[in-house]
Amino acid sequence: MNGSINASASMGGATIGAARVDLDSVKKWYGPVLAVRGVSLSIEPGEMVCFLGPSGCGKTTTLRMIAGLETPDEGEIRIGGEAVNRLPPWKRNVGMVFQNYALFPHMTVAENIAFGLNMRGTSGSEVRAKVEAAMAQVRLADYGDRRPSQLSGGQRQRIALARAIVTRPNVLLLDEPLAALDKKLREQMQVEIKQLQRAVGITTVFVTHDQEEALTLADRIVVMEEGRIVQIGAPSDVYERPKSRFVSDFIGYTNAVSGKVEAITAGRARVSTASGHAFEVPAGEGISAGDRVDLVIRPEKVVVDPANTDGLMVLDGTLVHTVYTGAVTYSHVDIGAGDVLIAMSPNAHGEAATAPGGRLRIGLRPDTMLMFPSRG
Amino acid sequence: MSSSEALSNSHAPKATSGERALSLYVCLILLFLALPIFIVVPLAFSSDASLSFPPHGFSFRWFVNMVNRQEFLRAAGLSAMLAVVATICSLIVGSLAAVGLVRYHFPGRDTLLMVFMTPLIFPAIVLGAGLALMFSPLGLLRNFWGLLLAHMVVTFPYCLRTSLATLHEVDKALEEAAYTLGANRWRTFRHVTLPLMRPGLLAGATFSLIISFDEFTITMFLAGPGLMTLPLEMYNYTEFSLDPTIAAISTVLLIITSIAIVIIEKLVGLGKQFS
Repeated sequence: MNGSINASASMGGATIGAARVDLDSVKKWYGPVLAVRGVSLSIEPGEMVCFLGPSGCGKTTTLRMIAGLETPDEGEIRIGGEAVNRLPPWKRNVGMVFQNYALFPHMTVAENIAFGLNMRGTSGSEVRAKVEAAMAQVRLADYGDRRPSQLSGGQRQRIALARAIVTRPNVLLLDEPLAALDKKLREQMQVEIKQLQRAVGITTVFVTHDQEEALTLADRIVVMEEGRIVQIGAPSDVYERPKSRFVSDFIGYTNAVSGKVEAITAGRARVSTASGHAFEVPAGEGISAGDRVDLVIRPEKVVVDPANTDGLMVLDGTLVHTVYTGAVTYSHVDIGAGDVLIAMSPNAHGEAATAPGGRLRIGLRPDTMLMFPSRG
Repeated sequence: MSSSEALSNSHAPKATSGERALSLYVCLILLFLALPIFIVVPLAFSSDASLSFPPHGFSFRWFVNMVNRQEFLRAAGLSAMLAVVATICSLIVGSLAAVGLVRYHFPGRDTLLMVFMTPLIFPAIVLGAGLALMFSPLGLLRNFWGLLLAHMVVTFPYCLRTSLATLHEVDKALEEAAYTLGANRWRTFRHVTLPLMRPGLLAGATFSLIISFDEFTITMFLAGPGLMTLPLEMYNYTEFSLDPTIAAISTVLLIITSIAIVIIEKLVGLGKQFS
């Protein structure tokens, strides 16, 4: 379990599977329910894209439509420029890793990996060579004769990956592949998957409901809600500049105070809150004076007891609660009228001194606050 | 206090006597079920000329008689042939039908499943009469193929049922994985689904072989001179002579069946198919 996936051991040739994937207004009904409501997206060759969203947002259905396991009711899917709507999964040349790996229990590890090659009519000696190379690549070279039931979760995961890429597919599809692993192993596998993906340069689509996984792995994140794409962007884009309250809540901590827009002047909105504060924040589209809004800020942008208050708006509050997580502490600070802001501070100099109930000063830059229409 | 003590004291022995009664009851039931089966064994080795219990002497003469009578060997051959071919056919049709019924949802699916299962509950005598009426104009009466079709009607539900049970246990994601790896529907069935259905298929085959070999009522309507199965031949024989030859044949069948059940149990665990 030490070290990383052997990135230099190629899969028996040059870069593979760098195909472009296009989705064009794809819709899917399940009976009366519109599960996917017109998804359009272009995935660049070699890119790693992550579909992120809560369960039932249509991310898995979209992935399964790319695989050919579901048929879109409307719209078009193209892999490498070729429309694949009418192609069954066995003719699409995709590789897929399933949530519970779906390793064939009646076959050995080597037979599992060889399956796709055998279905393509690859010659016996070539199959053996490729299977061996694939097992070496996921560092399970001596496990060929074992049954999947004799492997640990992480090992099964690696075999599933090896099986999916040994056929040099055009696209690699991963359906919540780390959900069944414990936290530590999950973090390790994230790194391994990323390294493997980089090494083989394969276009990859990844589905998860875990925002951390998405931020760590993806080149671009596609955030989905109720069958629609609500935002597409690089991890930092989606995290720093969420387009909606839903996105900001789904990625990162919810940290919001509600208020009312008093005035908008020169691209800045003045928002007053029940706690008696007035925040000057960048004005957003579609918000006018008099609107009820939520101001959202990431906890790491709120400073506890700032030494240097240059450019900071300083608020006095009462510490209501602390969450100690080892590396950092989250301080929940009541800034009046029940408005609570969460501040994250690194535990560089030991634990925080203030006990719950004590007074605490926090500082923030109103510029870093995001304003969204209040959800009522 | 003393009354409660008396109560709790009388409670404990009462429970054990109840348990003892239960054990006795279970033993009696088992005895009742097994006795008629095992009573044929001592009778088969009887030296008496008629079927009477207990036997008065020991001999192998009824086994010799069994082997010497051509009609029993011929009938056993036909029965075995029927059982094997009907089982193979029912397994093929049953496993494919199971895939259709489990993996695809279509209107009338539940009705179809019920229709497939009717031979299990339908009175065999009606089925036999019906088949005889239907086969007669088709020239399938007193015909091997007619008999085979009739045996398939009764063995198919067993093969379907055990196939359905194991197929429900086969994760659909395994088939989907095979699709994405380049296997079409047939190859997925051949290389993934079918091997994983093996326990159910073996159990189905066991039931099917026994049901077919044992079939009497329906066969009676369709068989005839020159086309007699073993149960029919045995029944015919007892109409004219009540000697222990029948017990000797029964003993042989008992041994063969027991060996088959032990082997299957070792391979797949037959008990699981009933739970």
